[in-house]
Amino acid sequence: MCGIVGYVGGKRAQPILLDSLKRLEYRGYDSAGIAVIGEGVQCFKAEGEIAVLEASMPEMEGTVGVAHTRWATQGRPTTENAHPFVGCQNKVAVVHNGIITNFMALRESLVADGHEFSSDTDTEVFAHLVEANLENGDLMDAVKAALKLIDGTYAFAVVADGMEEVVAARNESPLVVGLGNGENFLASDVTALLKHTNKVVYVMDGEMVRITRDAVTIIDSEGNPVERKPERIAWSLEDAEKSGYPHFMLKEIFEQPNAIHESLLGRLESIDAEGSFFQEQSFSSIKIVACGTSYHAGLVGKYVIEELARIPTTVQISSEYRYSTAARENPLVVLITQSGETLDTIAAAREARKRGNRTVAIVNVVGSAISREVDHVIYTRAGPEISVAATKTFVTQLIALYLMAMELGIKGRSLTAQARKSVTNQLRNLPRAVQDVLNQAQTIESLANKHSKARDMFFMGRNIHYPISLEGALKTKEISYIHGEGYPAGELKHGPLALLSKDTPVVAIAVKDHTYEKMIGNISEVSARDSPVIAIAVVGDTEIGKFADDVIYVKEIPPLFLPVPIITALQLWAYYLAKARGCPIDKPRNIAKTVTVE
Amino acid sequence: MKAVILAAGEGMRLRPLTTSEPKVMIPIANRPILEYVVDALVKNDVHDIVMVVGYRKERIMSYFQDGKKFGAKIEYVVQEKQLGNGHALSCARDRVSGDFLTLAGDNIVDARAVDDLLRSGTCPSALVVESENPSKYGVVTIEKGSIRSVVEKPVDLVSNIILTGLFCLKDPIFEVIDQCIEDGKYGLSDAFRATLGRTGIKPVFSDGLWIDAVYPWDLLELNSAALENAPVRTAGKIEKQVTIAGPVGIGEETVIRAGTTIYGPVMIGEGCDIGPNVTIFPSTSIGDNVTIEPYTVIKNSILMSNCSIAAHSYLSHCVFGYGVKSKSHLMATGSEAFVNVGDEFFKVPHMGCIVGEDAEFGAGVVIEPGTIIGAGCKVSSGSKIMRNLPNKALVM
Repeated sequence: MCGIVGYVGGKRAQPILLDSLKRLEYRGYDSAGIAVIGEGVQCFKAEGEIAVLEASMPEMEGTVGVAHTRWATQGRPTTENAHPFVGCQNKVAVVHNGIITNFMALRESLVADGHEFSSDTDTEVFAHLVEANLENGDLMDAVKAALKLIDGTYAFAVVADGMEEVVAARNESPLVVGLGNGENFLASDVTALLKHTNKVVYVMDGEMVRITRDAVTIIDSEGNPVERKPERIAWSLEDAEKSGYPHFMLKEIFEQPNAIHESLLGRLESIDAEGSFFQEQSFSSIKIVACGTSYHAGLVGKYVIEELARIPTTVQISSEYRYSTAARENPLVVLITQSGETLDTIAAAREARKRGNRTVAIVNVVGSAISREVDHVIYTRAGPEISVAATKTFVTQLIALYLMAMELGIKGRSLTAQARKSVTNQLRNLPRAVQDVLNQAQTIESLANKHSKARDMFFMGRNIHYPISLEGALKTKEISYIHGEGYPAGELKHGPLALLSKDTPVVAIAVKDHTYEKMIGNISEVSARDSPVIAIAVVGDTEIGKFADDVIYVKEIPPLFLPVPIITALQLWAYYLAKARGCPIDKPRNIAKTVTVE
Repeated sequence: MKAVILAAGEGMRLRPLTTSEPKVMIPIANRPILEYVVDALVKNDVHDIVMVVGYRKERIMSYFQDGKKFGAKIEYVVQEKQLGNGHALSCARDRVSGDFLTLAGDNIVDARAVDDLLRSGTCPSALVVESENPSKYGVVTIEKGSIRSVVEKPVDLVSNIILTGLFCLKDPIFEVIDQCIEDGKYGLSDAFRATLGRTGIKPVFSDGLWIDAVYPWDLLELNSAALENAPVRTAGKIEKQVTIAGPVGIGEETVIRAGTTIYGPVMIGEGCDIGPNVTIFPSTSIGDNVTIEPYTVIKNSILMSNCSIAAHSYLSHCVFGYGVKSKSHLMATGSEAFVNVGDEFFKVPHMGCIVGEDAEFGAGVVIEPGTIIGAGCKVSSGSKIMRNLPNKALVM
């Protein structure tokens, strides 16, 4: 995935593009580049983070331009392979987020026509194609002609010498237009625009858009003009600043009590107050489809839905969903994605509809692509999440799943009004349970410092805490680069025990529920191999200290709701491990926040 | 002009209410004390604010963010160890130059107080007020329109004029503070004493509002003063047969159920579930996500967010921290009381009890007036609490 931005207006484009680009850095940061139309097409690119580009680039005059931050998929992350790309005659500059699948064939025919290529990327093909079609002088027509030749996914933005406009197109990669006064903007994501405007227009798949200083023209794939009302974004830029915190991740972890409050607000009586999606139909089974952290939320959701609503639930990774054959039954398909732009999950939504299933999306970003692909949307209201490692969006995904399970439970009569009241009260307790963990941040930091030298680390739990072990391991590996592995505690003896030694700490979730005795057994198994054990237990557990080397205590609440405070402890654990190891926490190497490639 | 707000201290005398947040974040009429300070500055066109944070700084940073929502531009500097307010101010030295304002983040001031200081036109200057209880503060004596002496918390009465913590200062103050710190003195009044002979500090009297809460029961007074001026907005869902009289603010998605009676000034936050048949008397503030069950009566109290109080309870002149939970028939009446804080005893004309965050009460608990119950205490049904409980105490 990559991030693109574009600008046309009355001000110098360079600083505006750079500033907007920085807010997209989470989308990729192995190289970056900028092109400004001034005296010809001025283009500059650099390998590394945007800061490298900023430090090395020359001053560029001009009020029209595009810029790009890259996360390499086709071609290595080098300066040559960085965007923008210009054609042979240096007349157009192109930035691209996506993949052109037929680029090899196109490249061969362009080379045969005498075009010279400077990179290994798929995108450069498009720059040559646009330039070749620019003879009649209309950039929109040239882009349209070039688009006809390519297959793949894309958000393109193109500028051309002597033209005061940016032309862009979208197919399965996000693209949004920001409306200013005497200036207009383009970006992959609204966060890049918030400093300049809160009025945006989303560009849809198959559409093209031309922005000039005073006008925004959208046309559909047939070339017909599209009228679309601008949307007002309630997030303000302050939400995208670190506000005194050293990292966005820590800021977002500490925002969780409030995010939970927002997520619950007005939904405890019904998550679907206006509509009747859950009331009008009944479902004999549920399939949750998601990637990464959202997949782990889905696994927790399975336990929650089965307990509260008694509906059998399965969970599948988005990219694998398409390979499963459609079963005879007709499940409700629940798609979970923070950004609503994750391509694998969007593809799964389309597949589910094709199979005739009803679909619900649990998503954080309002107006994102997936909301147009499903029958019903539940927003998680976590606010913008900038850190690549998902924290508050995971927790609010869990909240959405609790609320949905409750709704389904009432509908299916597995939950009485009285039981529902008690679930409601437990949900109201969650902001405090999370705050209690946050208050212990210093204790968790000193524990993490003790184990930050580890190369491998295991996380184990049973029942609903098994997916939480997986998520704890994922957080740990993605930001601290410690090899973390989550396991159902009962499975350790089927393999991983062979890897344990005094150098492999084990984090064990052992709470006072029906799994407690067995967890104690598993902890003893592990300590017998000399592995240091860090237990996560509930307050009032006086036994656990005898078995574990260190204990992190969370508030005692019913086991079904414990994943919320426990994952908060593990997020802090991963954060402080990464801090002790000096890792770039908000921007871990090789991974990007929203994965818009398959 | 820039302003430096000192907000690093815990406010130990307000324990147990400061368990998870500093004094400056304690809600008064559902807004943190610090927000009143920021508001007073913004109303005087002081938008550039440096906050010196320390104890539980995350609560401040997560709430105020970069200040945009409050019309300000806020930067944060961290005082790692809370040594004293002079040392705290010196942490902000790189962020200010020339003349600047300094304020204590834990006293409520209004725009007028800030305006009076700004309009006096001299710097260095200090806002002073007359106090009935000067022994808790830095007391000054004034001679020829200039401050002559500063005595911190004097035992004998020297004067009834006290420093409010609101100053206009010049940057050479940092050198003076440095010298004091070398001598092991970390207070701001130490630095003032050292400058009195040289530059002099002009006292500025004000008719504006300046109130401080030193002990937990002072919060009730602050709360009722703030509720008098609080803007009232009514959202949420109000069922039939609800009686509302006087100014009553009700937040988004709050449900007030049938038969409930509320006499303002009362402020209720977002997402609460109140009633049926609850009665709330002035001057009461109830935070977000609070549930109050039928036949409960609440008088002149503060209930912070996430509390839940079951049926048939009676609360008068109480302060409940975040997430306090009670089963039915909690009796917490108010009257004249002798309160024990540390080694001292105070006679308080009218108070109920102070309860730290996340305390849990069984059914039918009776709490004597003047009792302070620690954070995370668990009290089983039918208990009678007659003396203070430390944090996490279990009463079987």
